[in-house]
Amino acid sequence: MLGLLGEQGSDFAHKVDYAHDIVTIISVVCTVAIVGTMLYFAVIYRKRDGVDHETPMIEGNSLLEVIWTVFPTLVVIWVAYLGYDSFVDMRTVPPGAMEVNVTAKKWAWDFQYANGKRTTGELVVPVDQPVKLIMTSKDVLHSFFVPVMRTKMDVIPGRYTYEWFRPIKTGDFQVFCTEYCGDLHSGMLARLKVLPKAEFERWLADDSEELKLASMKPSDRGQEIYNKQCVACHSLDGSPRVGPSWLKIYGKEGQLVGGGTYKADENYIRESIYYPQAKTVAGYEAAKNAMASYQGQLSEDDITSLIAFMKTVDGTQKIVPAQPAAPKAADAAQLAAMSPAERGKALFNDPGNMCYTCHSIDGSRLVGPSMKGIWERKSKMSDGTEIVSDASYIKESIWKPQAKVVEGYPPAMPAIYEGKLTEENVSDIIEYLKTLK
Amino acid sequence: MSAHATTAHNEELNYLNWKTGIWSWLSSTDHKRICFLYLFTILIFFFVGGIAALLMRLELATTGPTIPSVVTSPHIYNVLFTLHGVFMIFLFVVPGIPATLGNFLIPLMIGAKDVAFPRLNLFSYYLYVIGALIGALSLWNPFSGLTAVDTGWTFYAPYSTTTGSSVSLMVFAAFVLGFSSILTGLNFIVTIHQLRAPGMTWMRLPVFIWASYATAIIQTVATPVVGMTLLLIIAERVFGAGIFDPTKGGDPVLMEHLFWFYSHPVVYIMVLPAFGVVGEIIPVFSRKPLFGYKMVVLSSMAIAAVGFVVWAHHMFVSGISDFSAIFFSLVTFLVAIPTAIKVFNWVSTMYKGSISFTTPMLYAMAFVFLFMIAGTTGIYLAMLGVDVYYHDTYFVVAHFHYTIQGGAVIGLIAALHYWFPKMSGKMYNETLSKIAFALVFIGFNLTFIPQFILGMDGMPRRYYNYPPEYQNMHTLSTIGAFMNGVGYTFALVNLLMTALFGKVKAPRNPYNSVGLEWQTASPPIHENFPETPVVDKDPYHYGTPAHV
Amino acid sequence: MSSHAAAAHEVAPGDPPHIHHMDSATAYGAAKLGMWLFLATEILLFAVMFCSFAIMRYYHLDAFHKASHNLNLYAGAFNTAVLLFSSYTAAVAVTKAQRGDNRGVVVNFGISILCGFIFLLVKGYEYSEKAHHGMFPFVWNESFGDYKNFLGIYYCMTGLHALHVIIGMVVMYIYGVRPALKNRYSGRYYTPVELSALYWHLVDLIWIYLFPLLYLVG
Repeated sequence: MLGLLGEQGSDFAHKVDYAHDIVTIISVVCTVAIVGTMLYFAVIYRKRDGVDHETPMIEGNSLLEVIWTVFPTLVVIWVAYLGYDSFVDMRTVPPGAMEVNVTAKKWAWDFQYANGKRTTGELVVPVDQPVKLIMTSKDVLHSFFVPVMRTKMDVIPGRYTYEWFRPIKTGDFQVFCTEYCGDLHSGMLARLKVLPKAEFERWLADDSEELKLASMKPSDRGQEIYNKQCVACHSLDGSPRVGPSWLKIYGKEGQLVGGGTYKADENYIRESIYYPQAKTVAGYEAAKNAMASYQGQLSEDDITSLIAFMKTVDGTQKIVPAQPAAPKAADAAQLAAMSPAERGKALFNDPGNMCYTCHSIDGSRLVGPSMKGIWERKSKMSDGTEIVSDASYIKESIWKPQAKVVEGYPPAMPAIYEGKLTEENVSDIIEYLKTLK
Repeated sequence: MSAHATTAHNEELNYLNWKTGIWSWLSSTDHKRICFLYLFTILIFFFVGGIAALLMRLELATTGPTIPSVVTSPHIYNVLFTLHGVFMIFLFVVPGIPATLGNFLIPLMIGAKDVAFPRLNLFSYYLYVIGALIGALSLWNPFSGLTAVDTGWTFYAPYSTTTGSSVSLMVFAAFVLGFSSILTGLNFIVTIHQLRAPGMTWMRLPVFIWASYATAIIQTVATPVVGMTLLLIIAERVFGAGIFDPTKGGDPVLMEHLFWFYSHPVVYIMVLPAFGVVGEIIPVFSRKPLFGYKMVVLSSMAIAAVGFVVWAHHMFVSGISDFSAIFFSLVTFLVAIPTAIKVFNWVSTMYKGSISFTTPMLYAMAFVFLFMIAGTTGIYLAMLGVDVYYHDTYFVVAHFHYTIQGGAVIGLIAALHYWFPKMSGKMYNETLSKIAFALVFIGFNLTFIPQFILGMDGMPRRYYNYPPEYQNMHTLSTIGAFMNGVGYTFALVNLLMTALFGKVKAPRNPYNSVGLEWQTASPPIHENFPETPVVDKDPYHYGTPAHV
Repeated sequence: MSSHAAAAHEVAPGDPPHIHHMDSATAYGAAKLGMWLFLATEILLFAVMFCSFAIMRYYHLDAFHKASHNLNLYAGAFNTAVLLFSSYTAAVAVTKAQRGDNRGVVVNFGISILCGFIFLLVKGYEYSEKAHHGMFPFVWNESFGDYKNFLGIYYCMTGLHALHVIIGMVVMYIYGVRPALKNRYSGRYYTPVELSALYWHLVDLIWIYLFPLLYLVG
């Protein structure tokens, strides 16, 4: 009716909006009436000529008290009922609802469908079918809010909560995290994509990516997982990031926080992936709680593949492109002799800039979009606009990363490059990016 | 403190000048001087919390980082909103009216010489100072982001029990502050029971006293619960107790229940005294008795009582059972009724009155408007289906700023203006105070009405950054916030300057009020009354009685 | 703070102190009301932990049973007897004060304080036993992992209670024993003795609830 809450996307949204509208009307009428009466009294009974006029000693009126106690009570009981009515629908899941498992972690949403398909940051559902989200958290409290569906429910570690909705239209909608969860709470967004039924079935059945992974040899598969899940915090070249480097990690021995020693054999590695806080490497106290557990997310097979990959990070083998091994900062003479694209590549791989930790060059998705094919690529931004990745867009994204964020990606790129990378640096990088086809 | 020397004439001596020197103030057990100790300190924290808010609003004025040289990362923003909440609630509004005006007025209004336990009163103040210092310590070096707390003032587990910052220190500060609040509440309850002057029966007490009494009961009963909860958070962090942390078998929702069991009643600690202030101001400047005195008294006690059983309306989407949600929603509606009754009675007091538009009266009338918005927006949040949408969005932020700022803070400013002549013996400049009022009123509404709209569009709270479609309302809100800040500064500086350097002496009873506090000198002597007063009239006997 | 001469503060033994804004009858009433309100806040403080205990027990019934049986029942029962007896002597101290028998106050509060010491020693023994087996904060032995929930809340509750025992002992000494040694109390004035004893009764009462809950019901 009044349309104050925006687009209605679910079948019970109109009940919420109706209740909202009624209260709006009642509130406006009451506020205007009461404040209006007060202002009216203030004007017609105002003191005139600086002298108080005679006033009657009226102490009260029992009838009025009864009226203005009973009547509002009846009104609020009705309003309470309206709230209850819309709530009951939200908490009653119809039979045959499609179930999707939702896992919240700092700071992203993982979804898993009944057929095993997994996505991150993107919930895809068919129109006109009820979907039930069964949710749990890996670490702290989060909350899954879909404004257009009017539903919200907290996501709690150690427990399951649920919410459901039946989309009544197709489209691409916003999902927010609405329970404060730390640094990137405001970046913990997701997209809800409602597709026509047939298109959804095709999407659900598409396991091409899963098949590709299954046919690889374990260490390659481990590297794929590393590129998606681990690269942001663990380097391969010995440099410390949030967590320890994986250079020569297999079999490594060392000290733990709080005394004690470790040896990074299969069991230690598995324990550190499933129970990251159990044994923290000395020197990484501050980041102790930064790693969320991968229980339920990485299978035992995944762990075996990762361990196989770790064994290859021994400093002797050259690790295949997605993660350049030990990039070195080139010196000035060498730089002057290079072509712009070569200089750009050196900048991209410079550990001082760390572009490669979040942007792959082989098409795989890391924290940020892949740079493969980036030149003049069309992308959709988080505010719905479409842009083309030309020189000015790329420059803007390097210097002011939050200005235009690609849809589906967190606004996590630090704004540290303006002043650090000059115009010339940026144009060299752009020349390099043009070569990534 | 004041410049004039103690004279030979006894009538020149009052509580401000009969003893001088800073030590006489810092060690005074005189409730009137303790009022000033608190007032000075809470206003400092009001400004610190206010600056945090202005920094937040500056950052939020545009999408993406707006002031990255100051708010260098999302973490710093999170520290700022935590600081803002903790300082404003625990260090400003909760002590607020009770510790200042309550301390000053309660003995005067009941005809006593002081509160029941004056030394405990001073001890409460120093507990508050210690708590504040510990809290400030936990924010040491906030801009390096190393130890500053970023959990929000709600300290939800398991984030608060696992994050690597000075949570234990800040939470312990809140515990000490809570203890101060408990002792003040206890002191006031005993004072009101035991020290009323002859003839001052319960039903002759001014509504400010009833409001303070209801507030003191909440302070005494609710605060220990949060105090213990905060200690348990420390136990969880330091000893690994396993009560709230699910990885150790604990329950994070239990923490929410224990926290909100206090934190809902605390909003009544904040606002009930303000209701009392409005109930004192409107009759004086309408020259009419407070309409429905008995109902107003009853409503204060009802709010205090019912306020204890509505806490889980903060938790409708926290994973509580549907049955609990329905129960808490229904009872929350019931707590709205007594407040509505008060508003009706205030407005009815003005009927056939003789209305003066002094600064206190302007603030009191503004209170009615602002609290109507506060109360009606609360209705949306009490409704289950609608709260699911609005929970943790800007709609809630706007609602609670209308109740706390539009309610409690406006009440405090109104009270400071109304009783200023009594407390300082001087008259402030009405033109300046009215200009400040206009800035405060317009600025406040400009800050928070856009936030209701943001909430309707689904904008979540505690967000450092947001999608660009929300920017316009945020920019408007930031402009309002600065106007609001200027207004408050102007209002308080006006009062401060007048108190220190003002020349216009106040008569004993400039507004011709019938309140007992106005029957003694302005400012009062140290013992309040030269002789113990005897009370034989109703508290608001304004106007001409009807002929039988 | 007050400019009264020091002499004005010297009160004859047995007389109530001079309070400038209340007569002694009102002061007595105020003190009692104040102490009862304070005791209410202490009860609410512990109520939070009783509540948490109930909920944790609901979630982990078996682990709680097991951990509870691990507690030293004899030590707990002995401590209960000690505190009950000390409450009795505290009550006797009040009667003595009312009769102006200051020596009786010293002796009886002295016994209560001594009982407090014994309680703390036994508690200390219980804690050290637990620490020895790795069932104590900072020295947790992981094999007792499932005792942690019970023990966590057990240490919080008994620890806070022990702190209150210490406070009670100090209060009885400062406001009971020391003034009584100077013959301060009489039938006209014994308020601090009464209030100290009230506080001690609360400390005992809390233990009366703690003991069955932690050691028996488990």
